[in-house]
Amino acid sequence: MGSAIEVEGLGVRFRRGRRGPRSIKDLFGGAARRARPGEFWALRDVSFTVEQGEAIGVVGRNGQGKSTLLKLVAGVLLPDEGRVSVNGGVAPLIELTGGFVGDLTVRENVRLTAGLHGMSKAEIGRRYDEIIAFAELEDFQETPYKHLSNGMKVRLAFSVVSQLDEPILLVDEVLAVGDKAFREKCYRRIDALLADDRTLFFVSHNERDLRRFCTRGLYLDGGGLVLDGPIGEILDRYNADHTGQD
Amino acid sequence: MSGTTIGAPGSLRRYVHSLWLLSARDLRVRYATSFLGYLWSVLDPLVMSAIYWFVFTQVFHRKVGEEPYIVFLISALLPWVWFNSSVGDFTRAFRKDSRLIRSTAIPRSIWVTRVVLSKGIEFLCSLPVLVLFAVFSGAHVGWGLLWFPVAVVLQVVLLVGLGLLIAPLTVLYTDLERTTGLVLRALFYASPVIYGFANLPHPFQFLGLVNPLSGIFTLYRVGLFPDQWHVEPVLSSVVISFGVLALGVLVFRRLEPAVLKEL
Repeated sequence: MGSAIEVEGLGVRFRRGRRGPRSIKDLFGGAARRARPGEFWALRDVSFTVEQGEAIGVVGRNGQGKSTLLKLVAGVLLPDEGRVSVNGGVAPLIELTGGFVGDLTVRENVRLTAGLHGMSKAEIGRRYDEIIAFAELEDFQETPYKHLSNGMKVRLAFSVVSQLDEPILLVDEVLAVGDKAFREKCYRRIDALLADDRTLFFVSHNERDLRRFCTRGLYLDGGGLVLDGPIGEILDRYNADHTGQD
Repeated sequence: MSGTTIGAPGSLRRYVHSLWLLSARDLRVRYATSFLGYLWSVLDPLVMSAIYWFVFTQVFHRKVGEEPYIVFLISALLPWVWFNSSVGDFTRAFRKDSRLIRSTAIPRSIWVTRVVLSKGIEFLCSLPVLVLFAVFSGAHVGWGLLWFPVAVVLQVVLLVGLGLLIAPLTVLYTDLERTTGLVLRALFYASPVIYGFANLPHPFQFLGLVNPLSGIFTLYRVGLFPDQWHVEPVLSSVVISFGVLALGVLVFRRLEPAVLKEL
């Protein structure tokens, strides 16, 4: 079994304010290791390796770099330092409804989004009915996406992305949305994917979800990786650090 | 898990697949939301041609261009519309699809190339208009028509290069969006659309040489108007177009991380 995700000395910095002078020199200057004034490191010196089939939960308070880390792994953000190498494709359940187009119908959107994630036309044809059935949208296939309710949109998005045959699954807080029945369905889908030897990279504030799916945890604080160990240990440490603060 | 996905992530096959899907999406959205659909890609250059034809053949006594003037106009206006609408879209290329860019790892240059491709398809679809006018006005077609595809390729090179420059820069500097609009308006009159390269008066001939569009429009026109052939603008536009492309690739690579953070 090779490793699925390798992260080495990862660092990324953001600007503190939206405004402020940004000189051409800033953009083309060499990548200095110090943060420039007005910038901060959202993540710094983070290194870890994830083996194939592992289920990793990322724990930390808001603003400690969890989602940023997930985006770097998904490849929708590029690091300023270090590197991320991902072995195989990624099915990102991040900003779920991002790829959908309001003016196109549900059917066209499924084809487009699945296609952009690399699914072939024949494969989309084979899985189309299952995707629609999972999202419970049989009666809305020709409806423009913009006329769906918010719940329907999320259901459709989860259904499409979780059908992708990618070895790595990234999940960012999406399970907080949707009604209880659909959430249960999502859980079962993730369980099935895990049983199929997929790698899971999971960001959540929900301790129950973390314990349910994950075996190993990463504890992020202040943009750094504080602890890397079994999920139980990670959650205990996190709770010890933050009791009475939340 | 084999056979279910198209190419590996990052492979050329996957790139082309995604590029095609997004361009098809553009066209489909366009036709799904408007009744006139196809007509719009033709109407814009047609109305502009009618206006310039009226102004320069009926109002003013024109000393520029060639007969039939309406064909002379359309032969450069169609590629101009492709150029103009593409550059206009470059300024919004990332912002318009920011949600998709934030959630899906597609090679970022696709947001540029897909504008060039979908606008290019509209350009090709509008060519029958040029053919119709050429036939009905009795224009003579020569071997120079073989330069037409060369002009298309050269315009693609120039557009991709400009897109790789403009698209990331407008994300980082919002003012550039307005500036680009102004530059485009000036560029229209600085390019040989309503006149030919040879019509530029003495001290201004350099305009035709520093502007890569003049060489490209020359190549488009030479099939119908052999007298429009000039080597200098063509050579300079080849050099400039590839230069812009090289610069674009460089700048794009450099700015990509910063752009992703801003979206």
